[in-house]
Amino acid sequence: MVEFKDVSVTYSSGVDALNKVNLKINDGDFAFVVGSSGAGKSTMIKLILKEINATDGTVMVNGFNLSKLKRRRIPALRRTIGVVFQDFRLIPTMTVYENVAFVLRVIDAPAKYIRSRVPYVISLVGLQDKAKSYPTELSGGEQQRVALARALVNDPQLIIADEPTGNIDPALSYEIVDLLRSINECGTTVLMVTHEHDLVRYFGGRIININKGSIAFDEIIGGTNTDES
Amino acid sequence: MKASSARYLVGQGVKSIWRNRMMSFASFCIILVSLLMVGVSVLLTININRIISGIENQSEISVIIVDDIGEEKQEDLKEEIDALPNVASVTFYSKEEAWESMTDDMSEEQQDLFRYSSDENPLPDSYKVTVNDISVISDTAMQIETFENVDSVKSPTQFADVLVSVENIVMIIMLAVIAALVVVCLIIISNTTRSSVFARRKEINIMKYVGATNSFIRIPFFVEGMLVGIVAAVVALLLTKYAYEGVYSIFRNDISLWSILGIDNLYPFDTMAVSVTVSYLVAGAVIGAVGTSISAGKHLRV
Repeated sequence: MVEFKDVSVTYSSGVDALNKVNLKINDGDFAFVVGSSGAGKSTMIKLILKEINATDGTVMVNGFNLSKLKRRRIPALRRTIGVVFQDFRLIPTMTVYENVAFVLRVIDAPAKYIRSRVPYVISLVGLQDKAKSYPTELSGGEQQRVALARALVNDPQLIIADEPTGNIDPALSYEIVDLLRSINECGTTVLMVTHEHDLVRYFGGRIININKGSIAFDEIIGGTNTDES
Repeated sequence: MKASSARYLVGQGVKSIWRNRMMSFASFCIILVSLLMVGVSVLLTININRIISGIENQSEISVIIVDDIGEEKQEDLKEEIDALPNVASVTFYSKEEAWESMTDDMSEEQQDLFRYSSDENPLPDSYKVTVNDISVISDTAMQIETFENVDSVKSPTQFADVLVSVENIVMIIMLAVIAALVVVCLIIISNTTRSSVFARRKEINIMKYVGATNSFIRIPFFVEGMLVGIVAAVVALLLTKYAYEGVYSIFRNDISLWSILGIDNLYPFDTMAVSVTVSYLVAGAVIGAVGTSISAGKHLRV
């Protein structure tokens, strides 16, 4: 669950990135966050991950009150969130398997669990045949699926996808969003930031439009692919 | 932390040495050179101090006794000198001994010449007095001069002053060299680590996003630095050992150097092997680990 109460962010340069934003995303929701660049989308994500702190207001994420969260507890917060980036951010020197297993190693998971969990998650995104490949040997769409597997592997409550389709073929974008939706159907909250309106229109669902640091629009619209929902 | 995680972290540290091999090699060289310079200056200082204290022990005050005062008065004088706080030992040096030692260095002809020129031994009886603290040897000499039945006192005062100041200067230079090297070492290593952190920024960035604790991120760097430091220490140790033994055997085999320094005044390497090994390893590991940790800590801020 993500909840913003009267959240404002002013950067030290004097730029007002967010202005008294109120927002609630419930457990199990799927929401698109749209808006032109500089509207405050990235600021929202940075707040949720506690990369930055709100100048004013409270941010609650998965039961953590971020304004009261101590620095050394940040890892505990982040273990409940999976992040997918536009540029994939896979480690080029590691195979697909290692890239995914890495996350579990970092959170000190038992070796036995890693051995059973990683192949399962890789098969969820349909890359079981590429487990031993390196990221450079994969297409953009495949790399993003590895990134998704990595975000999924420690079973987070919330997945944040920051422009996950920005760097891949439009045709494959739909595949990625489909994957995110099926993850959501298993109960994980998904927050997808994008500026591809076609995609949003196609899938429909909850759309949060941010403009100049405020929420301009927060509604549920029907998608054009009616048979999907 | 689980054993598998510990293995993983150490493994990461080892891998990253190889992955950043140029940087690791640079750190290795820096630590090696620093250890060698510090090690050589410490060994040099230890030996110089030992030579100096060897000379100090040999430098003694000669107390010339007034002629023919009789054994009882000589004994009284000895007790008086012995009672002085700075006096370590008092040895009687008879005129016969003085004659022998003087003529020892002479050829037969010279000895004969001396013997015929006078029937009587012209040399006086004396006491050889050694002191505890050479820096106040002149005070002690002056005190002895005031005693009864003392003809004259000879003490190596000027020489003593020189020795004491040499000792002090050597000590100051050594401390300055060590301090400078430690600082340079830490700066260079933390710069090296910065490149290594930079090379791995993607990985670190992802580690942060998936909730790695800071210590988890730092441990591989720590291991990396420590291992590089230990390897450098081992190489430094071998180089020091062979170089030291080489120099030592040069002194051993050269009689003229021998007589200046006195061979007993140099420590054989084996007597110091344990302490040199331990200091090198500890210093190498600590410099490596601290250097990388400082830098990793600075550049890993979330």
